[in-house]
Amino acid sequence: MTKYNIWFFSSFFIALIVALPIITVFSSFFYETSNYYNVLKETFLFDYIFNSLLILIFVILITFLLGVLSAYFVAFYEFPFSNFFSWTLILAFAVPGYIYAFSIIAFFENYGTAFSILTYFFGENNYNTFIPKIDGIAGAILAISFSLFPYVYVLTRASFHYQSNNYIEVGKNLGLSEKETFFKIILPSARPAIIAGLALVSMECLSDFGTVSFFSVNTLTTGIYNSWLSFDDLNTANQISFILLLFILFLFSIEIYSRREARYHQPGRGFKPITKIKLSGKKALLAFVVCFLILFLSFLFPLSQMIYWTIKFPKYFQDIDIININLNTLILVLIASLSIVIISLFINYGSRISKSKILNYITNFSVSGYAIPGVILAVAFITFFSNLSDFFSENLNLNSTKSIFIGSVLGLILAYFIRFFSLSFNGIKSSYEKINNSIDESAYLLGYSKIKTFLTIHIPYLRTNIILIMLLISLEVIKELPITLILRPFNFETFATQAYIYASQDLLEAAALPSLFLIFWSTILIVISSRYILSKKN
Amino acid sequence: MDKNFLEIQNGSFSASEKNKVNNVNLVIKNQGEIISLLGPSGIGKTTILRTIAGLQKLTNGKIILKGKTLSSNLVHVEPEERNIALSFQDNSLFPNYKVIDNINFGKKRLNGNGSSLKSNEIIKLLRIEPILEKFPHQISAGEAQRVSLARSLMSKPDLLLLDEPFSNIDQSLKDEIQVSVKKLLKRINLTTIIVTHDSYEAFSMADKCGIILDQELKQYDIPYNVHHEPNSIEVANFLNKGVFINVKVIDSECAVHRLEHPELGEIRGKLSSNFPSGSKVKLLLQPEDLIHDDQSKLKLEVVDRKFRGTNFVYTLKTNKGEHLPVFVHSHHIHQHEKNEKFGIQSPIYIDHLVCF
Repeated sequence: MTKYNIWFFSSFFIALIVALPIITVFSSFFYETSNYYNVLKETFLFDYIFNSLLILIFVILITFLLGVLSAYFVAFYEFPFSNFFSWTLILAFAVPGYIYAFSIIAFFENYGTAFSILTYFFGENNYNTFIPKIDGIAGAILAISFSLFPYVYVLTRASFHYQSNNYIEVGKNLGLSEKETFFKIILPSARPAIIAGLALVSMECLSDFGTVSFFSVNTLTTGIYNSWLSFDDLNTANQISFILLLFILFLFSIEIYSRREARYHQPGRGFKPITKIKLSGKKALLAFVVCFLILFLSFLFPLSQMIYWTIKFPKYFQDIDIININLNTLILVLIASLSIVIISLFINYGSRISKSKILNYITNFSVSGYAIPGVILAVAFITFFSNLSDFFSENLNLNSTKSIFIGSVLGLILAYFIRFFSLSFNGIKSSYEKINNSIDESAYLLGYSKIKTFLTIHIPYLRTNIILIMLLISLEVIKELPITLILRPFNFETFATQAYIYASQDLLEAAALPSLFLIFWSTILIVISSRYILSKKN
Repeated sequence: MDKNFLEIQNGSFSASEKNKVNNVNLVIKNQGEIISLLGPSGIGKTTILRTIAGLQKLTNGKIILKGKTLSSNLVHVEPEERNIALSFQDNSLFPNYKVIDNINFGKKRLNGNGSSLKSNEIIKLLRIEPILEKFPHQISAGEAQRVSLARSLMSKPDLLLLDEPFSNIDQSLKDEIQVSVKKLLKRINLTTIIVTHDSYEAFSMADKCGIILDQELKQYDIPYNVHHEPNSIEVANFLNKGVFINVKVIDSECAVHRLEHPELGEIRGKLSSNFPSGSKVKLLLQPEDLIHDDQSKLKLEVVDRKFRGTNFVYTLKTNKGEHLPVFVHSHHIHQHEKNEKFGIQSPIYIDHLVCF
């Protein structure tokens, strides 16, 4: 029987907080909207959906190609720098789509970087006429694809890596050629991982706001943002959110299902790691060129573009209060990651010792936050706390409480909490599940109290994982744009918001410095995290 | 007043609807006694141990250790306050501590039983020296079991509970470790309850043995009696050491009781329970009860022969279709093939005539 104790109520409370955006979006149907919604329905709504889906389809195709191809080379072959590529290909995670978008525009625009390079090598000419203009939907597709393909790469590589050599040997034994082995054995068994990766890519792609907004492509996310900012119509924003949420939840279910499937494809007892094939000659060159191109296009290209601009326009070093932005980001990163991890630990521990099924359902529900796009979350967040404040003012004659949650660091942290709680909760849970229950019981029988068991047995065991999760949350917080942009306090800038604001004011050169800092910190976090993961052979 | 060391009064233990044992009455009179609980898998043996350790609540009844009530309808002493050690069947070592640190965790218990047991001694006895610096994931399941046992012993408990303690240990090492552990437990006078589904282990380790079947403690007696004088058909079937044949009691009043089987003839011995002359009963016939004799006139057909190392087990068939097992020493001068006739010493004499 479920005990209604502190663990139950705190888990319930957290689940409720995380469910706020979903509840708000659904309840928006009971409120009136302005005329804007009707106008929108008859005009642009279809475009929003069409553009979102068009971008999605191409992003899926490109990330599939980039992710699977690079994972295949790195997992199965040994060629010059193959080990180097195996971890550097993840670095694309350090470049958010919107910063990639800045780089594309900066490179291909009239008199942009491409123009400068051509002029430097071939002398002055009107190169602008044959430099392709990559912007709009094409630009958005490229920028999002290059920034998201590591999801497919990481999951597919892991799946290839843990593929038992036994299967491949059986394939050979049954007379299959190398090509047949790949298409009939290797690829099908990696399918759940690839689908899970693509589902994540799709969710992130549909949630993207910075890139599409920068390229002025009208999608569902920009629609939500515009309804709120330009038309001050929160209910319309929430109703568009509902449409987007339907797509996202569909993808979320695919992701969960595929991950469950992927578990059956994991190696059992007879696991024999694959032996990498050593490539030489043309084949080695081909593998090298493919991996290098992907690394260059996804990471080195935007990085060098930002470095180039930062050096070319040094005046922004003085104009931008970079120390303050560093401090702001640091504060957000520290408070968010610490509070999220501590609460996740608390809830996980509660769920472990109380062994309540209801509690399990509640906590599982509370991890849905990660699926909710930042824009939806931020708009729903404002809607909820505005309504709450109005309710208090009307019924209890209280002063407006809006400022406590909207436009405050507290509100921002709360929104981050809703968005990233699942990342932390699931990360700790997966580690916690490896600690057998009899281990706790052994500790009790050796005279340890529950709290002492938690501190002496659990925490040291989870330590590495906790650090890793804090790094990942920090990475997400640094890169996060829409929530920070919408909910941040006045004049409180992070790298992401500062870069976006400059870029949207057409001051791309000024956006370079904060972008570079963002890439710098993100790269450091990714390198440390990947070292952690590799050192644990996870 | 003499106090029992451990007493379970009308104890009901339950982990799930299927996994429960009711109305258990069990007494360990003296400190240092070793008892074993034997029963098929999933019957609730582990549940009993967990409940005694305080990890689960007692559904009904009372558990009293050294005169102090640990569990009852009103009382539940928390596991960390019981000074009872439980060595789990599965790996319960702390994964982030080395083997030596795991063992030393046991030392930290403040209310130990005061025995002068040294960790070096336990480590040597359980053959743990080579793995002391390893982490739990680097050692085998059998080694983990030994480390878990060492850790429990180090905590110097009042009562030691062992859940299938030797199940993962190699056969070659098992016998030796069983002997050493038993010696040690006796030397330090540590009261122990061992749960197992292996009757040989239960009989060799314990002073007393409890058989749990059908949600009940069916029999609680010294191992010799449990084996030779099972108190119910269920216990005999569970121990699976013989067959039941239909016989008639001819004489139950004299010093030597007599039974009769239509083909085997007269069977003599001592009836374990009273049956009036003339009654028809089922007699438990164990493989060691019949003695092979090539010269005997009583011959039955061989239907099967199994080689068991030290002996053969022949299965003989009566005309009524009963299958009787017989042990024959494997050095016996000749072997009998299937369908051959096999002589049995007659009249048959069995020490304990176990009838139902």
